[in-house]
Amino acid sequence: MFTRTFPVTLLAAALCACGGPGDEQRTGPEKLVIGDSSAAAPAPASLYQMPTPNELFAIVRQMAGEGQKRMMNPTTSADRYATLGGRAFNFGVYCTDLIYASYFDLNVEVVRYYLTVKKLGDQLGLSAAFSEQDFVRLERNLSKGDSLEIISNEAYYKAYEKLQEEEMGPTLALVLAGGWVESLHLVMKQVDAFDPADPLVKRVAEQKFSLEHLIEMMDAYSTDPNVAPIRERMIALRDIYDRLQVQRTTHPGKSSSGRMVLGDDLNVQLTAERYAELQIAVEALRSDLVSPEGTVSAQPNL
Amino acid sequence: MVMLRLKNLVTASALLAATVVNAQYNCGDYHKFNCERSTDARFSLNGQSKSASVQVGRPTELNIIVYGGQDYRISFCYDEKIIGDHVVARLVEKVRVPREQDVDVVEKEELRDANGQPTGQFKDVKRTVRKTVFDDERKVLWDNTEHELAQEVEFSAATTKRLVVEVMAPGAAEQKGRAKGLDIGCVGILIEHMPTPNLGF
Repeated sequence: MFTRTFPVTLLAAALCACGGPGDEQRTGPEKLVIGDSSAAAPAPASLYQMPTPNELFAIVRQMAGEGQKRMMNPTTSADRYATLGGRAFNFGVYCTDLIYASYFDLNVEVVRYYLTVKKLGDQLGLSAAFSEQDFVRLERNLSKGDSLEIISNEAYYKAYEKLQEEEMGPTLALVLAGGWVESLHLVMKQVDAFDPADPLVKRVAEQKFSLEHLIEMMDAYSTDPNVAPIRERMIALRDIYDRLQVQRTTHPGKSSSGRMVLGDDLNVQLTAERYAELQIAVEALRSDLVSPEGTVSAQPNL
Repeated sequence: MVMLRLKNLVTASALLAATVVNAQYNCGDYHKFNCERSTDARFSLNGQSKSASVQVGRPTELNIIVYGGQDYRISFCYDEKIIGDHVVARLVEKVRVPREQDVDVVEKEELRDANGQPTGQFKDVKRTVRKTVFDDERKVLWDNTEHELAQEVEFSAATTKRLVVEVMAPGAAEQKGRAKGLDIGCVGILIEHMPTPNLGF
């Protein structure tokens, strides 16, 4: 991507430098009116981005104990996903496992999951995201945890960008859904016992917002036969979150870094009962979708 | 000979024009090469950064998630020849808010005979039930028109939020050269993040 785009951008920049912006007088700042009912402006173009799994794992790593490889989806299942939906969802699951393994120093698993992600990526038309050089780099850096994190995350991000570039919207939606479910599964498995004050439990509660965001992103593909059944199940998870109270309080002063705090503090009040309900629903969804296709009675991705 | 040179010139011009048009509309990596990174090395590039083709006067919004306990820096870069010397930008929180609503529902009710026994026949009965529906509400948290059109902003996210980065291009006051007549240009939104550091003693 770098070699393809850079010269064009450079040329454009060079061309734009000729002349430069004029020093014309402006009448004053314009006002943005998105979301204003009185707005006469055209409808905004909406773009969506999801945080990469490493963002969440970087945060929870400090709160969690050791990584548990038995919580990851076994790589042996990878050959058993036959449908596009199954492959896309589980590509998201395996990518998340790969990043989890690299963040929790499960180095042997990093290689195993990298190869699995590459294999599924090839089947989804994402070969360009996984080069031979990247794998050699990965093998060379097996003893360096930081490098593994970077390489794993780069692989995920390249695949993510490729899906965006090729406008493979439904596939991307399924990959992101797989990533979201697997992230929550892995974080919940790090929780020993429910305690609303536990930082990990708070992270589980806050995933309410990323789930709302993901479902909104999936809305564009709600009629896609692969996306629709998964989206419905994600909405069922959102229904559980919808029953939680969200407490909004003004943040006093600046943050510990001295920067302004953006907006109010939101406290999603997760109860033991709802936590248990959420856990059961997440595990049931994950179990159905990571099961090798052909071995379960209900086929969600036909 | 002159004809050949002329032909080469025309070909070169056509190629250049095609490249410029491509540059205008293929904005995928624009932020990577045009937005300035923070001088604070603790900031990492956030994967939600995005570039897009933006039409002058048409608002564009980027929906992202900011995680609690992280500091963010969001900055904008753009093709000044088309977009202008700034973008108008806002950070808006998106909140899903419950609302009670009375909804009419139609249910089948079985008809009964004079003895109160079911007849096997049904009639439609309309009744009103109270349901919880959810609306997305937007709350403006930062508006660069109130901050001297700042083209970057740094903040802390105390808790996780859904955020919309809204941008609108005013357009160049006077378009010159090849940008003349174009109203679509590249805008990059660079997002950087780091765990909120503790300062002081």
